[in-house]
Amino acid sequence: MTLALTYDLWGFLSENWEALLRGLGRTIEVSAIAVIGSFLIGLVLGAARAHRVPVVSQLATIYVEVIRNTPILVQIFFLYFGLGQFESTRFDVFTVAWLSITIWGGAFNTENFRAGFEAVPYRFREAGLALGFSRLATFFNVTLPIGGRIALPSSINTYIAVVKNTALLYVIAYEELTTTAFQIQALTLETLEAFTLIGIVYLILVWSLSAGIRVLESHLALPEAR
Amino acid sequence: MKRLLVVTFAFALAVGVITAATTAATGGKAESAGRRAEAAKPKLPALPAEVRNRKRWIIGVKCDVPPFGYINVKGENAGFDVEIAHWFARYAFGKANRVAFVCAPTPAREPLLTTGRADLVISTFTYTRDRDTRIDFSRAYYKATGRLLVKNNSSISSISDLAGKTIATTSGSIYDRWVRKCFTNATLSVFDNLTNARLAFDQGRADTLMWDDAGLVPLAAADRNSKLTNDTFLALPYGIGIKQGNVAMKRWVDSRLALMKKRDTFMQILRNNVPKRFVAGFSKNILRPKNNFAYAPAGAPAAETVCP
Repeated sequence: MTLALTYDLWGFLSENWEALLRGLGRTIEVSAIAVIGSFLIGLVLGAARAHRVPVVSQLATIYVEVIRNTPILVQIFFLYFGLGQFESTRFDVFTVAWLSITIWGGAFNTENFRAGFEAVPYRFREAGLALGFSRLATFFNVTLPIGGRIALPSSINTYIAVVKNTALLYVIAYEELTTTAFQIQALTLETLEAFTLIGIVYLILVWSLSAGIRVLESHLALPEAR
Repeated sequence: MKRLLVVTFAFALAVGVITAATTAATGGKAESAGRRAEAAKPKLPALPAEVRNRKRWIIGVKCDVPPFGYINVKGENAGFDVEIAHWFARYAFGKANRVAFVCAPTPAREPLLTTGRADLVISTFTYTRDRDTRIDFSRAYYKATGRLLVKNNSSISSISDLAGKTIATTSGSIYDRWVRKCFTNATLSVFDNLTNARLAFDQGRADTLMWDDAGLVPLAAADRNSKLTNDTFLALPYGIGIKQGNVAMKRWVDSRLALMKKRDTFMQILRNNVPKRFVAGFSKNILRPKNNFAYAPAGAPAAETVCP
């Protein structure tokens, strides 16, 4: 290992790019699963809560309150080392990685979608019911298109947080980008280079994600909103 | 009258002889004890100014590695390294409590010194020439070897059985470097502290835990389902980490370590920290009046770069 007396970002990159690229791949993998997962969880449970579906909405409330009021680090530890104490609940590190982030993102997204669906003026739903749509059909044809668009900006926040929180998987030694960079800098002490590089990569990654969702948002915007 | 005079004279003579004998034994001058001690033996190096002015040490120690550095049931720092720190406080200030402890897990040890956040790091700190280029080390004070902790029914009996297995260890340690270099067909699972690495081994997520002997022995002693393999590797002594260039500090630390070696203080510290059945075995690893060891000579290649 060479001694790092000077700041040498390019040297750091050229020596370690394979490991860092593998780490980036894993970050994107877990983030993608978690974003899609939290979208689906948020959609379903948000709808259940907004429509006061019996049993499901109560369970969803418990889920949301527990996950929102505990630190995500505690949740990751609980799933990996806590449940891992018993053989039947011992998940491998990749499972814990995407599961913990998805569960966390789903809880926050549930509230985003609930707020979106509840913001749909009741007269629209009334109109749907009056026209003979069933409750489910009213949801799909009226509430979801309008409420989903209302929820989109706040869910961008959640998806950004989901991607950034994958960095916390460092504590269970899941070799995503941050973990890989931390391990390299522990061996070579090129601390500033490592953190500068992953800072830049995360900036690009997260900014691209939010830019992509904003493009989607303008694409989906209702005529009167344009 | 005559008898009284004889008795008084004899008494005065006796007192005079005793006084003369005592003053002769203590060096002759009725001055301060320091000067008497000074005349009896050479003066020990002075305490560096930054510590003297602060009136306490700031020492980095391990917080989760019994028997070297851990937090006991009372919430206090305890362990072999911690006791050495208390002895340094006694030597510097006369009081064992004049030391503030900072947790120094493996990856934080060097940054604590290079950024000046700690005066010393006594944290199972293995000497390597690579580390010596960035910080200074005291003389060697504990001769540690690496060991493998495996489950009782494991197929691993030595380091030659590691192909295709998962090894847990701490990030940035000599084991991290050595395995990456020499055991490319094994999977390495590095955690930022020993506790998590041990949890991963306990839960079967890793086949073996590779670490220092003294750190693993208590784990093997406490867990009936695991044992240490017999082979030892990477015999590398611990040193006390000192900020690079702080010559006064190194002189002070080395002199007090020599004093503790001479007085067999390390044996006392060992007995305080290790179960009785391990004391005899570990007594060969510590500095004692007749037990000497040092770092590998300058010409030898760094141990973690030498593959078995």
